Amino acid sequence: MPVAAPIVQVRELTKVFRQGEINVTALHRINLEIAAGEFLTLMGPSGSGKSTLLHIIAGIDRPTSGDCIVQERNIGALNESELADWRNQNVGFVFQTFNLIPVLSAFENVELPLLLTQLSARDRRRQVTTALELVGLSDRMKHLPRQLSGGQEQRVAIARALVTDPQLIVADEPTGNLDSHSAADVLDILRRLSRDARKTVIMVTHDPKAAAYGTRSIHLEKGELTN
Amino acid sequence: MTVSGFIIKNAFRNKRRAALCVLSVAMSLFLLVTLLVVLNEFTNPPEDAGASLRIAVRNKVSLANPLPVRQRAVIEKMAGIDGVTALTFFGGKYKNDENTFFAQFAMDPEKLTAVFGEAKMPADQLAAWIKDRTSVIVGYDTAQRYQLKIGDKFPLVGQIYPVDLDLTIAGIYRGTTDDRNVFFHQKYLDELLGDPGTVGMWWVKARSAEEVPGLIDRINAAFANTSAEVLAETERAFQMGFISMWANIKILIGSICSVVVFALVLVTASTMSMAVRERLRELSVLKALGFRRHELFAFILAESFGLAVVGLLLGGGGAWLLYNSLSASALTGGLFATLTVTPRILGTAALVATGLGVVSSLAPAWSIMRLSVVEGLKTLD
Repeated sequence: MPVAAPIVQVRELTKVFRQGEINVTALHRINLEIAAGEFLTLMGPSGSGKSTLLHIIAGIDRPTSGDCIVQERNIGALNESELADWRNQNVGFVFQTFNLIPVLSAFENVELPLLLTQLSARDRRRQVTTALELVGLSDRMKHLPRQLSGGQEQRVAIARALVTDPQLIVADEPTGNLDSHSAADVLDILRRLSRDARKTVIMVTHDPKAAAYGTRSIHLEKGELTN
Repeated sequence: MTVSGFIIKNAFRNKRRAALCVLSVAMSLFLLVTLLVVLNEFTNPPEDAGASLRIAVRNKVSLANPLPVRQRAVIEKMAGIDGVTALTFFGGKYKNDENTFFAQFAMDPEKLTAVFGEAKMPADQLAAWIKDRTSVIVGYDTAQRYQLKIGDKFPLVGQIYPVDLDLTIAGIYRGTTDDRNVFFHQKYLDELLGDPGTVGMWWVKARSAEEVPGLIDRINAAFANTSAEVLAETERAFQMGFISMWANIKILIGSICSVVVFALVLVTASTMSMAVRERLRELSVLKALGFRRHELFAFILAESFGLAVVGLLLGGGGAWLLYNSLSASALTGGLFATLTVTPRILGTAALVATGLGVVSSLAPAWSIMRLSVVEGLKTLD
């Protein structure tokens, strides 16, 4: 059960994909509330709709029907440009495959979202340095992604997600490409963000051990919540 | 990091491909500039200061038909004339040199200053030439090419006329737009040909530019309905008529230019498409981070435009440096006296490069603008 006022409210949310002549229902009338500071894990088999739900909450996909209200804004009603601004200010993304820009250093990758803000170069430097310190990579700032281990790359990705100080962090199987030791490091960082910095973390995972780091876990099956 | 720094890093992430793309753009623009320069030389031959006052008079039937010598007296009597000279194209070979690149003309030496005043040489050389009917004056470029000096023999083997000329160099001139030509006495040619009583053309110098149109009319009228009707025209018009004998050279070169530009667009568009295609996921991530469609479009446009501009600097700038620093005559084996990269030609190349940058980025930019973040992330997952 939520422990504080909900930051995310999903109401009767349905998502239908069209594949050729066939309509595939990925999410069916989902209702969900996520409290601020919660570390929610989304579990379920492949194709159950957990990533789709995460994408809609993060504002990179749109529902077919229903509402998705995040921080009191119905993000389904925002146009492309408003949604882009909203994502930049309110959402941090962590992907399974890290998705760092290979030609940019760790510092530059983390700085990337800040190029869209009005911050001065000095302020950007300060924020990037803080974010990299938070994930324990202040000594790897000038390294290119190929010079980092998988765990370090994912930590850079977390720093990039944090650097704009968003309330919501979404992570799509962030430990899927990591060894158990690195995975534990990454999960620990996410847990600390939720617990200490009061960030709301929503994580998709197949791994029950990873799910155990969350404060709440929900299961999806065939596009519907099962608990 | 700045946005421009980010774009530059992206543009050169695959250095070999970027270098090959820039080189192909540079080579193509170099070729384009070269073709435009050649076209310009064909269609806008250089003129010297006296060109606006000179009238070329040729046989109305064709340039190959001679004119009777008796016409000289008629033309000379006309008001507003500074000078008249015969000018007969000899078309021979220098010492049987198959690649003789300079033109040879017979003329009236004493009229050189009046009609072709731009040809400068020391007075004693001019006087020596006028005095000796078997002497010749040689353009500076030709003298340089064959290491000639005053007093050297200058034999010309006839190709059009059945005579050979045994000439001696009396002077070396310079200052005209084509310092390759050589001039000798019309009387010497007449003598060798058995005094046929004909010349190739008349070249007339008017006293002022205002006199030119009236003089042209009077010259044409004077020989109308005679056995040797003439066509008098300005030097410019004569040159253009001469150029028209190159048939559709303008269309030919224009067509090659179009093909070059078209190929250039395909090469750059292909490079940009590949560059964007391999970064679909990254561009989707940028979208997820909050970059908007028009910002991504600007990134791709700037990258494509940047490659085209670097190509322009190398290709267009290279052509400008090359043609301005080397002798056109030496470079083209004497085909062109000058090869000038005009500001207009550089402007055209810049316009092509700009268009190239924009056009080649349109398709990849459009596909990125339409691509959803989720699709982009899935594409390469």
